Amino acid sequence: MNSFKELLTIPRLKPIARREALQGLAFISIWFIGFFIFTLIPMLATLAFSFSNINLAQEEALRFVGFGNYQKMLSDSSLRNALGVTLKYALIALPVGLAVPFAVAVLLNNKHLRAKGFFRVMFYLPYVIPFVAGIFAWGGLLNPEQGWINQTLEALGVQNPPGWLNDPLWVYPSLVILGLWGIGSAVIIYLASLQGVPTELYDAAKVDGAGWWATMRNVTLPMMSPVIFYSLVLGIVGVFQYFLVPLVVTDGTGRPGGATMFFNLYMYKTFFTFQNMSYGAAQAWVLFILILVVTIFLFWSSKYWVYYAGETREG
Amino acid sequence: MATKQANETLAPTRTFSARLARGLREPSRSFIITFIVVVLLAFFLSPLLRITLNSFKTPSQVAELGTPLYPAKARVVEYQGKEYEIYKVPFAEGVRELALYKKGRATSEFIDPANLDAPPIVWTGAWRSLDRAWEFAPTLTNYQQVWDLLDYPRLMFNTIALAVIGTFGTLISNILVAYGFARFRIPGKQLLFTIVIATVFLPEAVTLIPTYTFYVKIGWIGTWLPLLVPAFFANAFDIFLLRQFFLTIPREMDEAAKVDGAGPFRILRSVILPQAWPAVIAVGIFHFVYAWNDYFAPLIYLSTRPDLQPISVGLARFNSIYGNKPELTQAGTILTLIIPVIIFIFMQKFFMQGVVITGVDK
Amino acid sequence: MKISFRWTLIPALALLLVFAACAAPATPAPQPTAVPAQPTAAPAQPTEAPAQPTAAPAQPTEAPAQPTTAPEATVAPTATALPTAAAGRTQIRWFVGLGTGTDPAQVTVQQEMVDKFNASQDKIQLVLEVVAYDAARDALATQIASGNPPDIVGPVGVSGAEAFHGQWLDLAPLIEKNNYDLTQYDKGAVDFYKVGGEGQIGIPFAIFPSAVFYQRDMFDEADLNYPPHKYGEKYKWKDGTEEEWTYDTLRKLALLLTVDKNNKDANDAAFDTKNIVQYGYEPQYQDLRAVGSYFGAGSFVAADEKTAQIPPQWADAWKWVYDGVWKEHFIANGPTRESQEFGQGNPFNSGKVATALTHLWYTCCVTDAGGNWDVAVAPSYKGKTTANFNADTFRILKASKHPDEAFTVLTYLLGDASLDLLKIYGGMPARTADQKAFFDSLNETWKQKVDWQVFVDGIAYADNPSFEGYMPNYNESFDLANVFLNKLYTTDGLDMDKEIAQFQKDLQAVFDKKATP
Repeated sequence: MNSFKELLTIPRLKPIARREALQGLAFISIWFIGFFIFTLIPMLATLAFSFSNINLAQEEALRFVGFGNYQKMLSDSSLRNALGVTLKYALIALPVGLAVPFAVAVLLNNKHLRAKGFFRVMFYLPYVIPFVAGIFAWGGLLNPEQGWINQTLEALGVQNPPGWLNDPLWVYPSLVILGLWGIGSAVIIYLASLQGVPTELYDAAKVDGAGWWATMRNVTLPMMSPVIFYSLVLGIVGVFQYFLVPLVVTDGTGRPGGATMFFNLYMYKTFFTFQNMSYGAAQAWVLFILILVVTIFLFWSSKYWVYYAGETREG
Repeated sequence: MATKQANETLAPTRTFSARLARGLREPSRSFIITFIVVVLLAFFLSPLLRITLNSFKTPSQVAELGTPLYPAKARVVEYQGKEYEIYKVPFAEGVRELALYKKGRATSEFIDPANLDAPPIVWTGAWRSLDRAWEFAPTLTNYQQVWDLLDYPRLMFNTIALAVIGTFGTLISNILVAYGFARFRIPGKQLLFTIVIATVFLPEAVTLIPTYTFYVKIGWIGTWLPLLVPAFFANAFDIFLLRQFFLTIPREMDEAAKVDGAGPFRILRSVILPQAWPAVIAVGIFHFVYAWNDYFAPLIYLSTRPDLQPISVGLARFNSIYGNKPELTQAGTILTLIIPVIIFIFMQKFFMQGVVITGVDK
Repeated sequence: MKISFRWTLIPALALLLVFAACAAPATPAPQPTAVPAQPTAAPAQPTEAPAQPTAAPAQPTEAPAQPTTAPEATVAPTATALPTAAAGRTQIRWFVGLGTGTDPAQVTVQQEMVDKFNASQDKIQLVLEVVAYDAARDALATQIASGNPPDIVGPVGVSGAEAFHGQWLDLAPLIEKNNYDLTQYDKGAVDFYKVGGEGQIGIPFAIFPSAVFYQRDMFDEADLNYPPHKYGEKYKWKDGTEEEWTYDTLRKLALLLTVDKNNKDANDAAFDTKNIVQYGYEPQYQDLRAVGSYFGAGSFVAADEKTAQIPPQWADAWKWVYDGVWKEHFIANGPTRESQEFGQGNPFNSGKVATALTHLWYTCCVTDAGGNWDVAVAPSYKGKTTANFNADTFRILKASKHPDEAFTVLTYLLGDASLDLLKIYGGMPARTADQKAFFDSLNETWKQKVDWQVFVDGIAYADNPSFEGYMPNYNESFDLANVFLNKLYTTDGLDMDKEIAQFQKDLQAVFDKKATP
């Protein structure tokens, strides 16, 4: 909180320093105004909702219900299920979502690869495809009866190929595959960082007789750790907020049997479809706090595994 | 060119023979790596292949079982004002191409396209198990229908306008804010920056209803303003990306400009921006593509105004209550891809340099 | 401090931009140039220019945004909450999307009707809002919740309306005030909208009886007679024997009409279940309650409006369908029906299904099924025949700020505009006098001489109570039923009795949920 007190010191600064501070604040304020209007105030409004009984039908008068909506969550089995679904999905989606774009980036960065520019464009391409269309395309491919994937598997002699999006277990890998289609931007970010690793480090590793794996472990991964960290944070935020894909894939019904009723989807449904705004608002705040706790933990842990190479830490 | 590069990267310890060995290995390694990537890409892009193929098929071609993958049509013959499909019918004396005239479970009647006046030939066997004579028959009607039904030019115009204006606002606002964070000594700046970064973790849903209500009250629903105005107030991702890049530009340069009497704007324009434009292009492309594909916000804010919607929402219209039209959605998708892909192809070189993330500062 | 002053301009102008926009609606509307919000917002932008010269190009680029709304603003204000904006006319918003009416071709006709209405008088400005079906329920909820509700909603069926239970205006006072003549409709049809103690929440408009659609060619190929076209008639087999037209008879037909790629039907010992190319039957676009209701009308909720129940004949119907999918294979399973080869949820339309039980509105969606289908009557179960019945109309929201004007529009939609609209919705006119003209217009589209009388006769066998009726926590119960039906289509090897018992429990749990703590 020291820095907060520092803010109040502006009037006491020397004129030149004060001018610089004010100029800087003027620039930054563009963001803060947007933040207040489009984020902070609506957030507080949601918080107020969550302590009321506001809903669409509003059959009883609007009133303050204290922590009623929050208490209700404790006994809501659908909500527990939704949280479980989100965690299950996160367990698969996060590692895969980190490893696959990284692996693709390493491949594309390989000096022996020809036509790099072409491949970069090709892997970026699906990122540009409207996601509704992407879901259609994958839905067709993953169709257990007529899809290319199962027809290929059957041709290869697989007796009972998976039911993919219709199967309560296979639905998670299926969604992860759907998600992998948008790795284009992650690949680009990794690729750019890979190219930013100083060549001297690789040369030094070679001199030490390090093999491919040792170089990867001791040079590439540490140098890439800030980007991996960045992706992990975004990945976690993304997993908690995941809902548009299941909304479109399952018409928001959470089928098969609630296996795709993600936390954020359940909240959306509560809010809009079940028209219970106050309960939805309480769920939104719980979601926010969950994400906050997880990311704070991540930031805390980052000092043990994220390597900052001579970062310009200006004051 | 090649030798110059080699000289730069080669470590002094490398011997001539090692260099020779490497030179020999090179082509086969290239081949293997490239082959792996091609296989991976084939799987990765197979849905796109499917989209493309479907976009050239008629609804009945899409639904037809046992057809080739490409848009194909069975050859037909016209007989007494009706069309009959031609099958490859096996007979003792060999396979004949005959038109299926009357279907039956055990026996079917065929006519000979070469001799339509001859009486029908009765054939015993399962007509469903016969091969048909396929011909390549792509159709452009899907594209034409998308164009007409959706008022595609209008949707395209909306999409481009939203993406361009939004990108413009994003660039201006983020450059200014990132500049403020990168170059000015402000007491308490770390805290402010932490708050900025923390907003990345906000679930959008937390703010959705009040924001929507707010837009209703100020009359923005059914206009582009909810999609455009927030872009003019910067966002955490881009501030972060740009700030990181600005920090890598040596401070001495703007000190020098300052001594020459340049104000902050001139420093930004003549010192920072000329060096930072890979990052600026990166932010621009990221936002452009984001706006191009943004689905949820236009859906809820423009749901009542089809004439203002972008293509992403327009395409979803084919996914209506009864009767999806996959071939139309897919034709629309292909049309939508063209512009972002072209932009990406031309910009990718600079783009690549712009997205280097050197660490998340605390 | 000279520079410093310029600096404070940035946030100031940014703020100005926002407040100018916010303030816009606050400006008293009766100004002569009462302009919607966005043009007012525009002038704020140029003020940003001095501080940031590069911002200037933004205006020309952004300009196109205004023309799209501005020209209309002179005729129709934008779809925003500015009721008094357009030259003294009251704005009435017509929301389409909870049912049919979203197809691009339908939108065109609806817009024509709106334009005609607006040209015909100068008191009301009717505005059409079309929202894609998938987004419509949520969009309407959002609009109501944020105090920006439309006035008229429709066409909407009972189920779509129940999703907004308690939100509809009782029309009885308006009917009386305007002397609206209800005798032009069947009394039963009028009373259909007088349910649940909410008053007269609708006036009859379109009705959709049901029937069995069937493919003549497929019956010919299998050497079978067509199913009966008259209620009470028996089915005649080719060998001359006759049989009651029951679900068991339909099942026997369906088995014969289900064929693999070697021409073997589903009765054949060598039938290849992995390579079925034609299915015998399809409950086309029927939800869980509809599937049940064909075996006899019923409801999930007991008379106390609290207890969840499963009508026994519904359970029988679900088992019949379930066995049809998984044991006897004459109905396509979930993945198959979702595949594009089988019509992506519309199997009959793929031309690979022989019979389908569905409603009259299905004429919307059989364009690819070939031009040789016809309709037969619904079969009976345990001696009783039930042909499900759908009815759509336009409704007025309680939250509408102009119910009188909305009622004027309503009478226009139900009156002068009705024939054009019914044609595009595929709905049979509730007004008995209009029915012949309607079927004549259908014959223009379907030239194979469909026996439309089957539908008219079906009205006598309508389900009562309607399968779409009230359930507590309607939206969540409705979702639960959808998920259950989906499970039946996608999961082999279920113990149906156990599943149904569990479903009843789940349903009860949803019924018991309280909105407020």
